[in-house]
Amino acid sequence: MAWLHGAIAVFQKDARLELRTRFALNALGLFVAASVLLVRFAVGNTAITPPMAAALLWIVILFAAVVGLGRAFIVEEERGTVLLLQLALPPPSIYVGKLVFNIAITLALNLAAAFIFWLLVSPEVHALGLLLTTLVLGAIGLAAATTFLSAIIARTASSGPLLAVLSFPILIPLLFSVVQLTGLAFKPTASWDAAFTDLSALVGYSGLMITASVLLFEYVWRD
Amino acid sequence: MTSSSRDSVLLPPRGGGYRVFTVVVAVWMTTVLCFGVLGKISNLPILEHTARNLYFHVPMWFTLMLGWFVAAYHSLRLLMTRRRIHDVRAEQAALVATVFGVLGITTGIVWSRFTWYTGTDIWWNGDPRQVMVAVQLLICGAYFVLRGALDDERLRARLAAAYALFATMTMPFLTYVLPRRMESLHPGAEGNPAFSQMDIAPEMRWVFYASALGFLMLGWWIYTLRVRVRAAEIAVNERTTWP
Repeated sequence: MAWLHGAIAVFQKDARLELRTRFALNALGLFVAASVLLVRFAVGNTAITPPMAAALLWIVILFAAVVGLGRAFIVEEERGTVLLLQLALPPPSIYVGKLVFNIAITLALNLAAAFIFWLLVSPEVHALGLLLTTLVLGAIGLAAATTFLSAIIARTASSGPLLAVLSFPILIPLLFSVVQLTGLAFKPTASWDAAFTDLSALVGYSGLMITASVLLFEYVWRD
Repeated sequence: MTSSSRDSVLLPPRGGGYRVFTVVVAVWMTTVLCFGVLGKISNLPILEHTARNLYFHVPMWFTLMLGWFVAAYHSLRLLMTRRRIHDVRAEQAALVATVFGVLGITTGIVWSRFTWYTGTDIWWNGDPRQVMVAVQLLICGAYFVLRGALDDERLRARLAAAYALFATMTMPFLTYVLPRRMESLHPGAEGNPAFSQMDIAPEMRWVFYASALGFLMLGWWIYTLRVRVRAAEIAVNERTTWP
């Protein structure tokens, strides 16, 4: 289980660096707060239906994730620590460590976004358990896809809007399921039975993305 | 550059079989066009003579799928063997897929606008197949944007291949999960999206099959030509590079 220790070490390193400055967490929190406030102003006092509320919430989360999660591997290039990492650990350890850290960040982002959205736009939450499950599974799927793609864009000269271009087409199946589930959680008719298909699609998507990215990471990371 | 020039992309000359193939495709597609435009057709209420579009719209979509699968296959081969010819093949297959995808989605949009949506202003109806082709085209676009963002030849080949394979992983969701969860104009949706469920009139069936095969062969012809041209370009560039 040496690779697991390596993964834990990478996660601890990233978490410690993040907690020293709290740059990513602060930036993402403010990004989400500002975007939800913008949504509130843009919508005005119009009544929002549950599917519309779900769509707006996930569009905000998706854009925040694409802005905030792209840095996982770019920071290593900037600090010049790529070679050291390559020497110290096998590729799967590094990828899993980074992935778990990104899942933690995305989970914090999702919960913060949902809370601020509930505060400002105030959709009625009829199934809190379903909403929380969706946010957790959505965080895993979102982080799995964007972490791998951020490893790709770290190798390019100009990252700019590249992560959004690469990740949006891949995130569409995820977006479809989470919007359906969140819309369901905002309705009085919400039930676990009605959510089963989309929940299993979401679990399948996350599993597929994690497996594919662990297998392909080696080709992106090593020269 | 020394190590990459040893890995030559030059292909061996073509045999007579390929010439026979090109003649067969040319004659085959001409015949399909004649039968498609002039042949007998089941004159159904809404569709009327636009049903002929079936012969062209659906095979374009098949060619998109074939092109993308060839691109994914050569991406996999590139990661396994690191030979440049697979990068050339993957790029050109993705290009063929993009062209046929744009044609397919255009014919689909125009077809639905002037049959089912006559008298409305609906161009984009959110049909799952339409969404799926749009997503596939976005993936193709992202693939070429990624290629454009990388200068180093070997890195570009590897990253583009990794992205193509990663994107291919979402295909089961686009083909099987989403169509079952959305309403559709297409046959066999909202249940089994299998092709055999198409209720197609017997007199149209054989033209359709011939057209599907013809379009796949046409796509393959364009693809092999493009690969030759690109390989020749690379060879010329390497020969004229300053030592």
